[in-house]
Amino acid sequence: MFEFFFKYRPVVFRQGDLVFQSPIPVWLLVLGGVIIAGVGVWGYARGRRNLERRPRIILGALRVSAIALLVFALTRPMLVIATIVPQQNFLGVLVDDSRSMGIADRDDRPRGAYINDYFGEDGSALLSALSDRFKLRFFRFSETMGRLGDVSELTFQGTRTDVASALDRARLELAAVPLAGLVVFTDGADNGDASLSEALLQLQADGVPVHTVGLGVDRFDKDIEISRVEAPRRVLQGSAVAVDLTIKQSGLGGRSVDLVVEDEGRIVKTQPVELPGGSEPTTVRVHFTVSEEGSRLFRFGIAPAEGEIVRENNVLETLIQVEDVQRDVLYFEGEPRWEVGFLRRAVADDENVRVAALVRAAENKFSRYGVTSPDELAAGFPDTREELFQYDGLILGSVEASFFTADQLRMISEFVEVRGGGLLTLGGRLSFAEGGYAGTPVADALPVVLDRRSGDSSRFFAEIEVRPTPFGLTHAAMQLAPSQEESQERWGELPALSTLNLIRDVKPGATTLLTARADGVSDPVVVLASQRYGRGKSISFVVQDAWFWQMHADIPLDDLTHETLWRQLLRWLVDGVPNPVSVVAGADRVSPDAPMTVTAEVTDSGFIQLNGAEVVATVTTPSGISQDVPLEWTVEKDGEYRGSYTPAEKGRHEIDVTARYDGAVVGTGEAHVEAGDLGAEFYGAEMQSDVLKSIAAETGGQFYTPETISTLPEDVSFTESGTSVFEERDLWDMPIIFVLLVAFMGAEWIYRRQRGLP
Amino acid sequence: MSHLLVLAMETARRPLHRRIPGENLKPIVLACLCAAVATGVAKVVSADKVRAGASEQQVLAHVNDPGRTFYFTRAMYTDWDRSQGGRGRFGRGSWATDWPKADIQFLIGLKHLTNIDAYEEDNPVQLDDPEIRRYPFIYALEVGYMNLTDSEVRGLREYLLAGGFLVIDDFWGPNEWFNFEQQILRVLPEYPIVDIPMDHAVLSAFYQIGEILQVPARMRGPAFGRPTWEDPRDTVPRLRGIFDEHGRMIVIINYNTDLGDAWEWAEDPWYPLDRANFAYQLGVNMILYAMTH
Repeated sequence: MFEFFFKYRPVVFRQGDLVFQSPIPVWLLVLGGVIIAGVGVWGYARGRRNLERRPRIILGALRVSAIALLVFALTRPMLVIATIVPQQNFLGVLVDDSRSMGIADRDDRPRGAYINDYFGEDGSALLSALSDRFKLRFFRFSETMGRLGDVSELTFQGTRTDVASALDRARLELAAVPLAGLVVFTDGADNGDASLSEALLQLQADGVPVHTVGLGVDRFDKDIEISRVEAPRRVLQGSAVAVDLTIKQSGLGGRSVDLVVEDEGRIVKTQPVELPGGSEPTTVRVHFTVSEEGSRLFRFGIAPAEGEIVRENNVLETLIQVEDVQRDVLYFEGEPRWEVGFLRRAVADDENVRVAALVRAAENKFSRYGVTSPDELAAGFPDTREELFQYDGLILGSVEASFFTADQLRMISEFVEVRGGGLLTLGGRLSFAEGGYAGTPVADALPVVLDRRSGDSSRFFAEIEVRPTPFGLTHAAMQLAPSQEESQERWGELPALSTLNLIRDVKPGATTLLTARADGVSDPVVVLASQRYGRGKSISFVVQDAWFWQMHADIPLDDLTHETLWRQLLRWLVDGVPNPVSVVAGADRVSPDAPMTVTAEVTDSGFIQLNGAEVVATVTTPSGISQDVPLEWTVEKDGEYRGSYTPAEKGRHEIDVTARYDGAVVGTGEAHVEAGDLGAEFYGAEMQSDVLKSIAAETGGQFYTPETISTLPEDVSFTESGTSVFEERDLWDMPIIFVLLVAFMGAEWIYRRQRGLP
Repeated sequence: MSHLLVLAMETARRPLHRRIPGENLKPIVLACLCAAVATGVAKVVSADKVRAGASEQQVLAHVNDPGRTFYFTRAMYTDWDRSQGGRGRFGRGSWATDWPKADIQFLIGLKHLTNIDAYEEDNPVQLDDPEIRRYPFIYALEVGYMNLTDSEVRGLREYLLAGGFLVIDDFWGPNEWFNFEQQILRVLPEYPIVDIPMDHAVLSAFYQIGEILQVPARMRGPAFGRPTWEDPRDTVPRLRGIFDEHGRMIVIINYNTDLGDAWEWAEDPWYPLDRANFAYQLGVNMILYAMTH
């Protein structure tokens, strides 16, 4: 239609420059037009005084429009457009050879089948039209890129789609020849590591247009995809774990499905999930308990729905290091309290958490419980960083700030900030503001705001019904029952506790997990809040009698709420607390032959970062072959060392890192990586038309689909890239001009007739 | 000032009182007792008079300071006299022996000796009252006369299994032992009563206690020419306990001894100081143990 009225296709207008080639100067034509139009308008304005204002304006406008159109035609407008010289230029044709091209989402045909149609043995109009104009150079690409002699060489088995690298390589390979452009046949489901914007910048600089041909559909008819999993890398054995999954769907919105969690093939949880209604992905949190020690591969899956084309994206796996180690927690109470006995009893069976309790039973008289040696805490609360930092967690009960020296207060703060330990502060008559902590270094580490003035001696007491916030409901440490719904119900049944500390606000960046209503306080008071502070975390639990959830008459004797809560709280407290040497692999799952980074953070026993250490990672493959990979200090960050390793085998690789300083071992750490087929091609596998349109737009090319591809050969011809000539194409004889001229004049005539004018 | 009082008291009683070899008397305990003499007794006696004729509802309603860490809670239980239609032993029940003076006076000592944020008043609670769960420590004495109702048996059993701690005191001889044993068997039939070894944590929870002394009732002992025991058939003081399947002591039994009288009469210059001292030490230890284990 466009071409019928405007003589040429839109691409000609986009690519061409408008010029006027009239033998008469354009200004003269315009002047003449203005005079003629002025006379006409004056005739209506003055000569027909009996005409009303509105008809005068309409008739004047129609006449001016007709004269303007005529003047435009007389200026002889034309488009100057660069057109390639046939057979003088090269055209790079890049074909996606990855597994996603095997998806049969369009007319029940695999995406790759279109490649055969266009460039197969039988030939096609497209190939013929392109061959007439260009010298064609074919490339295939997936995770690698290479020349393609014949489409029969395509296997569509590539495990990644790296469009950026492919464009970059093609540009370099064809740099020496006159290049009219690149045409990329792909679904656009790019999952490569290279930067697309950098590749496009180079192409822009070289003036090489990239035309993209999108194969596949924008949105599957029916699909469920678990696109992302966020899980802790390390957890203590027996811990409750919360894992966030990003799930999206198409055509199945609102349907309820079962999410199944498997630990190395053993089902550990089945959770019903309602699929989101719209096209936006939704996040689902699933809780389960990790019971087996070691490096464990967890698989999260949803059974394929009927009619799903892509089923591989219904599952996602992640590797979690389940540690059977003992974490040490120091619990210090400034006065004997029931919480000591009940807390110790609640976690007594937890082999992975040891609570060493220190109670100031009288002035300068301390009692120790749960210590492992006669020397442990023998002198009371630790005086040195080495002594304090050997613990992973620290619980401060009801003890006034003035008990500590200034250095000890700083040490407690640094225990969180520098050492990366977990600090749990409990409510009590000598806790928080009531204990004089406002303005101390410990207050800086707390997630709560201490807003009571130190001079305020009035005693606050409130019985409070503790309830989780929406975030608290989903937090792993707050799960009191197997399912979130049951857990919420359980929270609602728990009896009231009491607090002596009025906490109204948390700090920016802190998260509130439990709140309560208190008599005489308008807003809910904070009961449990947490925040990251430096390398560690700080949690405040403001009640003074959590033991009542064990003792209350409404709590059945076999109820484990109290034990569960403390066990989860303490595990959360020490979860992720770093060792002197902590190791992180770039990813928990990698493709074989793809390089990955290994990063280690190295500190001394006082958790001060060490820069001059000798750090070596020993990688052991599944077949038992070990290889040493030296890690170098990154310079960007104190104590951080990095190296690279490329797994050659599929399977679980163990990475053991040893750090030495002045010849002595300062620490060791380990991590695991699973090398194998990630199935990345099946995630986000719909045709990414936005990406492909963007590539074309950025470089001056165009985006096509199988429906519009027939115009590609001619469109590609209009380019200044390569060897080209400039063509002039007249516009004065466009049918639209004559149509409009007749329309304006005819409308004026008809209107005049209607008004009874001659 | 208190040390002078201590010296005066010790001097006054020396001819009457024979020191037990090896006993570790703590000056701080004595100071505490003197403090009780100087400040607490008048108040305690006054409270006793007020409560002597009080109804149970009036007794139960008098806790007026919630949120404290420790409440010395006395178990109100049914005795034989009451279960047979009487008003209870001595007109108000055997549970009320020494109450409230012993409780309040012991609390004065406890607060002086430790950092415990203890409620200063007595706190009697019925065994079948759900409110008892607010107080993980309860004290019961004269259990030779105990005859629990089914409701009390159920209340006490669930209290102990939920995490509560029971101190038994002031019962003497085989007959009273038999009665107590029958009663506690109704409460905890699955757990045996065992002797507490001298290396048990309860004997070192605050003070190091190396010997179990017999704490006599008032007006007993060598100073009065009377024995410290009350039943000639069994004269040895014993410290026994009941442990749950996790090894946690849930009941501690002071048999053939009367800690309560020592707490009650510590200010009495004729009461044997070493026994009062021992009673306070063991009392503090029992509470510390209960709170931390």
